[in-house]
Amino acid sequence: MKIRNNFIKENITGYLFILPQMIVFLAFLVYPILEGIRLSMYRINYQNERFVGLDNYVSLFNDPVFFKALMNTVIFVVFIVILTVGFALFVASAVFDKNAKYVSFIRGSYYIPVMVSMVVMSMIWSFLLNPANGLISYFAKDMGMGTFNLLGNKTTVLPIIIFVTFATNVGQAIILYIAAMIGVPKDLFEAAEIDGANRWQVIRKILIPSVSSTTVYISIINIIAVLKIFVVIQLLTGGGPNNSSVTLMYYLYNNAFKYNQLGTASAVGVIMFVITLVLSVPQLRSIIKAK
Amino acid sequence: MKRKRLLATVAALALMISVISGCSGSGDKSSTADSSDKNKVNITVWLTPQWKGVLDASEKGADYDSFFKYAAQKFKAQYKKYDANVKVEVIAADQRDQLLNVNLSGGTPPDIFFESIFPMGDYVHRGAMVPIDDIIDEKAKSDIAQSYWDASTFGGKTYFYPFEHNPGTLVYNADMFKAAGLEKYVGKENEIKTWSLDEYQEILDGLKNDLPKDKYSNAYPMGLFALNNQGDTWNLAYLRMFGNKFFDDQGNVILNDQNGAKAAAWLKKIYDGGYTNPGAESVSSNDTNAMFQNQQLAISFTNPVLFNNSKISMKDGKSPKFDIRLANIPSESGDPLAFTYVVGASVFQSGDAKRVEVAKDFVKFFSSDPELVKSSKNGIPVRSSVVKQFEGTNPLFAAYDADSKYMFNFTGSVPGYSQLREVLYPALQALYTGEESPEEVVEDYQKNANRVIGENKKNSIIFNP
Repeated sequence: MKIRNNFIKENITGYLFILPQMIVFLAFLVYPILEGIRLSMYRINYQNERFVGLDNYVSLFNDPVFFKALMNTVIFVVFIVILTVGFALFVASAVFDKNAKYVSFIRGSYYIPVMVSMVVMSMIWSFLLNPANGLISYFAKDMGMGTFNLLGNKTTVLPIIIFVTFATNVGQAIILYIAAMIGVPKDLFEAAEIDGANRWQVIRKILIPSVSSTTVYISIINIIAVLKIFVVIQLLTGGGPNNSSVTLMYYLYNNAFKYNQLGTASAVGVIMFVITLVLSVPQLRSIIKAK
Repeated sequence: MKRKRLLATVAALALMISVISGCSGSGDKSSTADSSDKNKVNITVWLTPQWKGVLDASEKGADYDSFFKYAAQKFKAQYKKYDANVKVEVIAADQRDQLLNVNLSGGTPPDIFFESIFPMGDYVHRGAMVPIDDIIDEKAKSDIAQSYWDASTFGGKTYFYPFEHNPGTLVYNADMFKAAGLEKYVGKENEIKTWSLDEYQEILDGLKNDLPKDKYSNAYPMGLFALNNQGDTWNLAYLRMFGNKFFDDQGNVILNDQNGAKAAAWLKKIYDGGYTNPGAESVSSNDTNAMFQNQQLAISFTNPVLFNNSKISMKDGKSPKFDIRLANIPSESGDPLAFTYVVGASVFQSGDAKRVEVAKDFVKFFSSDPELVKSSKNGIPVRSSVVKQFEGTNPLFAAYDADSKYMFNFTGSVPGYSQLREVLYPALQALYTGEESPEEVVEDYQKNANRVIGENKKNSIIFNP
């Protein structure tokens, strides 16, 4: 009993200090997750809720649009994350050891799109790509290429969205990589130089392994961000043509806010949560192990 | 050491208490304010953009909320039951369902919503609204035609107080018609011209082939759109062109027949034939409206509000001036396809009896006050007394009236109409992109639409009283 009292006395201050944060964490993160899981098993009206077990999940798996959304989301995650990590590594490794002013300029240039709202970016792209009166269509027609509709074509709509999202987000990854690469001990590069390693060998054998924890971090935040991709879909394609660009988040939004199917929307949310968990846990474990 | 720990513990407790008290502080404050003045009742009116100004858009500083702000002032001045405050908020039409669903789920719906009835019927089916039969008197019933009350009635109870209506028609650029040598198809200034389907094809041919390119570069005969659900009633009308009735008596979609497939094939034919703007699958009704105003389209869609706004924009020099006139949507039978959006106020169930009472009183006030109902002239008034007052100055009222016998109920009053709208434009996108044939489109659409209707019937308080 005395030992227990001592333990409480010793640690109570620490627990009290983290208590406010824990309350916020429990109220705004844990509770919504548990409530989402509960709601996914109910049919909800404005006036009442009715327990329906796994019916919402069954109706989801019977809906071809849900599978389209799932597939599109996976495609977006894979391509956007690979493009972001690859391009950011390329840019960062090319400039990190250059003149400080030049590095700042590159960082600033790539970071500006990150600061611009996704809504604004989507509207600009929409203006450019509108098939009836957009700038790209206008020039294409002027040059005798006829009219083409990149957003209305099943095969081009996904690459366009991937490019727009990648171009808007890549600045963040470049900033993180440059910061991580500047922090790599200089003696490693000097040793490599003495050993006669070329630039590619330096990048492959020293830089990439040294910034692996940054790579994991960038991958995780991008996976989570892309899983939630929504604004660009809503403003650029509305999920079209014929649901070709619908994503899980857009599907969830439609169910929750347009159709008022809160149970179905919660079921989509739970599935997204599980996917995020499955994708993130191995990478988080690798960071923890490395530390 | 002990003292240090004590200080730290106190600091942590203080921090925690300040967080907790910070959270609860605002709640205490508001409840005090509520209890201090029991006769004060605050209600909120939401509306989607309808018309600018109190009486019309020519007033100085005219905006979409001008009418309700003025009506609220007038109401407050004469209202004796409570000290009523009316807050007016204009909501973008494409944000309506999102905002309403979020606020209804959070228990904070608006008290009154002023909007076309067609997208609001879902909220009646879901039990979010209160019937307003108790505020409708005999005088109103005799002044407003039965068809408008029918559109406002669900399961035998009235949920909307009709104010005006907005018939949907086509609008055309008469100057472009004349430039293409199509003078004989131009109607009179105050006429809603009816063309047969063959005549319409001749018009499209003339506009496509004979429009002078130097004067109208980058212009197309007709506007077509399927990006989202905005303006989809015109698309629904086109699908009825060859005689399909769209709904059966049980409220199920019956588009999948020969006439439905023929209509879908007609849309595909004019799209592929270059008679419409390109990229209809990615173009919104707003885009085509803008293109029409910029004289890039010769024929587009309109309703009286859009039509008046276009005329005012031209008069004020905000958009290019040209001769705009109205036409009906043609059909194979020769009878025009006509529909109207009945616009009116509805009262949401806030759970607060006082607020519901004030909301109903306010709805009755602005929907029947002789001065305020004059504003319904911005659309087409539902009150025959107002039509009589203005038919001399607005000859189009008679033309719209002549169309009333061709009106069809485009919603079928089915539950889940909002969700039903979300399956139409993907089907049209599949049609325009060639992903599906016209036959496949109507078949898939009917299957998806009836699934939506079936699901929503389960939750409807009208179908499950």
